Amino acid sequence: MTTLVQIHTESFEPKIVGFLCNWCSYAGADKAGASQTPYPPNVSVIRVMCSGRVDPQFVLEAFHRGADGVMILACHPGDCHYKEGNYRAVQRHRILLRLLEQFGIEKERCNFDYVSAGEGDKFVRVITEMVSTIKALGPLRLAVPAE
Amino acid sequence: MKVGLYFCTCGTNITATVDSDKVIAELTAQFPESYASKVEFICSAEGKSFFKDDLLTHRPDRVVIAACSPREYENTFMQILAEAGINPYFMQFVNIREQVAWVTPDPAEATQKATVAIRSAMARVCLQLPLEKKELEANGDVLVVGAGPAGLQAALFLAEGGRKVVLVEKSPAIGGMPVFFEELFPTMECGPCLLEPFEEQVLHGDYAHNIELLLLSEVTAVTGYYGNFNATIRQAPRYVGHTCIGCGMCVEVCPASASNPFNCGMDEKKAIAMPFLGALPNFPYIDPQACIRTSGGDCQLCLDACPMPETVLLDDKERIVERKIGAIILAIGSKLYDCSKLTGLGYGEVPGVFTSLEFERLASSNGPTGGEIKTAAGSAPGSVAIIHCVGSLDAKHQPHCSGICCEYAFKFNRILEHKLPGTKVYHLYKEMVVAGKSDFTMLEHAQKNPHASFIRYKDITEIKITAAPDGQKIAYRGANGQEESFTTEMVVLCPAMVGSDDAAKLGEMMDLSRGPAGFFDDLNGRLHNAQSKVKGVYLAGTCQAPMDIGQATGRAMAAAGYVLSGLAAGKKLVIEPISAEVDEERCSGCRICGNVCPYKAISFIPESETSRVNALLCHGCGTCVAACPAGAIQGNHFTNDQILAEIEAILQ
Repeated sequence: MTTLVQIHTESFEPKIVGFLCNWCSYAGADKAGASQTPYPPNVSVIRVMCSGRVDPQFVLEAFHRGADGVMILACHPGDCHYKEGNYRAVQRHRILLRLLEQFGIEKERCNFDYVSAGEGDKFVRVITEMVSTIKALGPLRLAVPAE
Repeated sequence: MKVGLYFCTCGTNITATVDSDKVIAELTAQFPESYASKVEFICSAEGKSFFKDDLLTHRPDRVVIAACSPREYENTFMQILAEAGINPYFMQFVNIREQVAWVTPDPAEATQKATVAIRSAMARVCLQLPLEKKELEANGDVLVVGAGPAGLQAALFLAEGGRKVVLVEKSPAIGGMPVFFEELFPTMECGPCLLEPFEEQVLHGDYAHNIELLLLSEVTAVTGYYGNFNATIRQAPRYVGHTCIGCGMCVEVCPASASNPFNCGMDEKKAIAMPFLGALPNFPYIDPQACIRTSGGDCQLCLDACPMPETVLLDDKERIVERKIGAIILAIGSKLYDCSKLTGLGYGEVPGVFTSLEFERLASSNGPTGGEIKTAAGSAPGSVAIIHCVGSLDAKHQPHCSGICCEYAFKFNRILEHKLPGTKVYHLYKEMVVAGKSDFTMLEHAQKNPHASFIRYKDITEIKITAAPDGQKIAYRGANGQEESFTTEMVVLCPAMVGSDDAAKLGEMMDLSRGPAGFFDDLNGRLHNAQSKVKGVYLAGTCQAPMDIGQATGRAMAAAGYVLSGLAAGKKLVIEPISAEVDEERCSGCRICGNVCPYKAISFIPESETSRVNALLCHGCGTCVAACPAGAIQGNHFTNDQILAEIEAILQ
């Protein structure tokens, strides 16, 4: 039994949806690409103009559709291309975590972080850490079956 | 729906790890109406030409380009779509180079990740809507508020460029603060000599017909937005018409007088008086507070003395002026920090303690003493203490450095050395700042004055200035921690520059945010420091930050530059299609959207009790879209449906 679980965890490749703002985080991901630093392929990127566009329902929908984790990456405080969209995003994220916990979704599955256009190395680090966190948590199992 | 998938191999950059054939086979199976083309370098001239021809051949409903980062070439390919007669917003650009091939060494993983990325783009693109850039007529005229060096420079520059300028100044003369200064740092240039030719250009120069100067005026209301503002201006009566020849006969006979603001209240002026000697325009005004007629007297001596008919207008009335303009430049200046807030310095209590502005007047030939620097007792001071950093670099007062005070303090040193040779000058400073390519010369001169000493103090709140028999006693703690004291015959305080009271009023009126010191916030301190956070409202001079005359006129040119390029003649304003739109049927009028909008682009319409986005002001960030509890706002090109389709396709 123990062996079976272990095998399962090792072969588990989490599906993670990453919302990246166009101006900082997406550019940070490009920077990581330009320096050709490898990182796990588990995060699929959705580009939004601003992290402030990330509606909490997108996150819920991603979990509902089978995502094991969701990331929202924003400009650093004070650097938002739209002045304060990242502040809205971080506020929503904090409230969203409380809701997720009520659904039994661990808060580690929904990560918010700041990645600037110059931080290719930080992008690689947050992606790598998120993938290993979700691998450790295992697949998301929702009490209500998905459609 | 027929989606044309263009897969760029980028030489072998992408295909070294991504199996293009496998990706294409899988996706064309999933989207059976679509087709795929493999291109080696789609960004090359041949690649682009092939792309355009292929579009014309296949006539796809939507296009997906899988290549490098969209941050590089998305716009280029949108233009090609438009050239091929396809709406440019019918395209998605998928980044399978920087975000897949270059970072995923395992070919199977890279191929899978690329498939998912392209699949989600294909799902999304099917839901993309045709969008068009819209154009809006804009007014190229400009309102400039404040006729100091910055406002004058902006007005003149715009007038020379053929723009109509409404120049609003609250005082009865133009010139701003430098008219108070006889000499200017760092070259000891004569202030009036610098300003007057410049002022003449504004009043009577070749382009003066483009400038409508409204003196004794203030802006009372602003409505509208970039390209189409309406301003209401209240002009107080001057009681003297433009036919005045400036002879001053009315001034001579006037029996009433009052405190003279030009000399900081250190002398008096007549109720009808020139704003100051050498003021432009050179004609007097009546101060209603001082005029006998205001309190019911029937004096008309000024009218009787005037040699010109219908020039003294005792029944002059306030005027309300309405103007339509496309942009606004604020050049309203700043003020000095209130020295009486630093109670130990004795300002207003201890005789002979002056602000720097008061000292400028004492040293000026058109000042209250005719340029003779005198102590409270009326004699030339044998020693003068100049205290730098008053209220600056101090968390309890103002944390910022105003950057110009050290220089004018050293200017005072030179004026004293010149006018009163042998006078001892004490510079008490917290920090000394003389940045710039020529400004150090002021410090050099001060250091060469054998009668000057430089004392660094620790904390201005420890300085105690008290009255002494022949002047003032100054007790302080030096930077070395030692408590010291000395007596002097005059004290000059160099206060921090802070935002003016008018900035508070205009800020509220026009929704402009201000920082803790009261200066207007700029859009970006490095890239857009002459632009406010409200589109179409620009900042020049010290209303934005402390600066000297050269910097202020430089910002004025920058502000004028925004207008000349943004509201160019014959050019319409372009409304970018990536913006938010409110569905008024679904809007509940809760106004949450308006509160989160960083650009004040959303207004509430009282008649319909709904919110409305001004697409011209909207930057398309989508924060309101995510905030709307009724789901009544659509974020064009980033709609809920489009993003949800991406999520679904990723997790398929």
